[in-house]
Amino acid sequence: MTHALTLAPAPRSDAAELVRAEVREFLAAEIAEGTFTPHVDTWLSGVDPAFSRKLGDRGWLGMTWPKEYGGHERTAMERYAVTEELLAAGAPVAAHWIADRQSGPALLRYGTEEHRQEILPRIAAGECFFVIGMSEPDSGSDLASIRTRATRDANGDFVVDGAKVWTSNAHHSHYAITLVRTGPPGDGPRGKHQGLTQLLVDLSLPGITINPIRILDGGHHFNEVVFDGVVVPAGMLLGEEGAGWHQVTAELAFERSGPERFLSTFPLLTELARRAAAGQDRAQLAAVGRLSARLLAIRQLSLRIAAALDRGELPDIPAALVKDIGTTFERDVIDEVRRVAEVTPSLSSPDPLGRALAEAQLHAPGYTLRGGTNEILRGIVARGLGLR
Amino acid sequence: MSDDQDLVRQTVREVLTAHPPVSLTAELTWDEGLWAELAAAGLTGVGLPEEAGGSGGEVADAVAVVGELARGAGAVPVGEQLLVAGPAVLAAGLQLPPPDEPLVAAVDGDLTAVPDGDGWLLSGTAVDVPWAGVALHLAVLAQGPDGPVLALVRAPAPAWTHANLAGEPRGSVAFDGLRAPAAPITVAAVADLRARAALLRAVQLAAALEQVLALTLRYAGEREQFGRPLGKFQAIQMYLAEMAGEVTAVTAVVDAAVQALEAGEPLVPAAATAKVRAGAAVEVVAALAHQVHGAIGFTQEHALHHLTRRCWAWRDEAGSELAWSATLGEHLVAGGADGFWPALTRVV
Repeated sequence: MTHALTLAPAPRSDAAELVRAEVREFLAAEIAEGTFTPHVDTWLSGVDPAFSRKLGDRGWLGMTWPKEYGGHERTAMERYAVTEELLAAGAPVAAHWIADRQSGPALLRYGTEEHRQEILPRIAAGECFFVIGMSEPDSGSDLASIRTRATRDANGDFVVDGAKVWTSNAHHSHYAITLVRTGPPGDGPRGKHQGLTQLLVDLSLPGITINPIRILDGGHHFNEVVFDGVVVPAGMLLGEEGAGWHQVTAELAFERSGPERFLSTFPLLTELARRAAAGQDRAQLAAVGRLSARLLAIRQLSLRIAAALDRGELPDIPAALVKDIGTTFERDVIDEVRRVAEVTPSLSSPDPLGRALAEAQLHAPGYTLRGGTNEILRGIVARGLGLR
Repeated sequence: MSDDQDLVRQTVREVLTAHPPVSLTAELTWDEGLWAELAAAGLTGVGLPEEAGGSGGEVADAVAVVGELARGAGAVPVGEQLLVAGPAVLAAGLQLPPPDEPLVAAVDGDLTAVPDGDGWLLSGTAVDVPWAGVALHLAVLAQGPDGPVLALVRAPAPAWTHANLAGEPRGSVAFDGLRAPAAPITVAAVADLRARAALLRAVQLAAALEQVLALTLRYAGEREQFGRPLGKFQAIQMYLAEMAGEVTAVTAVVDAAVQALEAGEPLVPAAATAKVRAGAAVEVVAALAHQVHGAIGFTQEHALHHLTRRCWAWRDEAGSELAWSATLGEHLVAGGADGFWPALTRVV
């Protein structure tokens, strides 16, 4: 293809298949013991710190990081196999998800030696959880318009005022990598990308209030985090002052391309497969086949991105494309199921298909919004096509 | 993509420059001149072993030829010969016809083959035969006394032909005790033969869809309305990004299915996946391409229809989207719900 979206096919990884088998065995044992029940969208709603610690014990967090920081120096392809197995099983992975996926890599890239030594081993152990401090009440897609400010006090520390929203599981987390304005915007259309800075904020600091924001099903995952004169030590600056926009953009390549961008509703598809297998209904079997073909194509692209990350690339444009088609797929599973199966969606349904359908439906608006709306993503893809 | 395949692509492209797409009619059923030039260059034997009369090379080289011809809307049965019928004939231990004489596989219909001395007698009617009336040789799948049989015949005149949506000839061919060389083949070989036919269409679709996107991007850059190129309008950008998402997904999964073929991995689920996914993309990509092209794209004088009509035709050939979806679904749930995800991760 003639544009920026092409990536080389992912090489097969025997190491990934080995660890995949280990994770499958572990998950089967956990389900047999009743540690967890599979649910839809568990990387948002399945908070279970004890489960996260078990993953840490087995070396399945911080997998690609250097051993000196508690990592395991494995490939992105191995990490990919572990994460997709966990998601496919509907396991409770929300507590550590953000820290393992993007905050740890951000600290590795931009953190000080002290940050890395102190925090990364705790993330890898499944004991330290992070939230994303990007969106604000008045700044969603237009992220650079954020108004949370940090000014330096007499000691050189940062004083932070403002509020962040949609911070998933802030009430269970320890740190927020928080995007703040530390300097004035520049001129021109991209001027507001200047003067932005990322701070590593300890959520137990005085002046921080965490207020719940409930989603459609009543679940408490999102929060508003309010900063009222919060003093953040100068040493908690992440990376370079004023380079926040660039750093955030790099973080998004990790955030947008993983298997959680097409497997959020996979447990619902598994329930359709169960129904189709039991009844051998041709329309249901065909729906399973059609949806699976879509899933496999997205998965191939997502694997290609994992392989590109292994090569040290930051494929931000293909990542945007994967998230667009992947989250659209997550949503489409719902209506494909409805068209071929008699099922009543209810969170309290005794029928696992009905329960999974209810969970998937009530979480559905989030899939194509979180981590960059699909319209923003298509804009990025259009740029990759040379249209912008 | 290796250097070998780049060279193959380049060679096909050079041949195609002298052979722009033709509009097929009842009288003009294929591009004989293009075929002759491809055959003279050895391109109708790529991927078939030299000792059998082919040009040698890998499966990937044959896929490169087929993709490039699809991109250029070449009206020739090269893909049928290189990826489906040729390998089937060789796998059955039959004598490959000279590669400059078009060979296609006839896999649908109601046919029987009975042994008779040192040959077989073939009876019945093959249906949906691609390039019926054009192909000189047919590899015909028939039912023998002890299981499936592949027979190789010089093609008789078709009993009936029709054109697919792109004008490519398809038809029925009848046999009444025709004597032919044949060989028993396994049920698994039959499944592979059908899967290869489906994968061929997926490879062609992937390439044609890429070209549809390329044409549409170019048009959106050239055509101005309201004082600016169409590609500067946000609504058009969203369409093009959606098309790119479909095309990129199809390319990735078709590449993976081709890898499965090269590696000798189970072909049915991989080919089913590629065919279903590529067919599904046609819905979005062809519709949006025409929407962006406006009325000019709706005319015979514009090149777009050579590709979009083929895409609309190919997605329903070599097994419908419904049939392959159901086949894939059955395969994936064969081990129950617990086996579903593990089966998925083994497809490609």
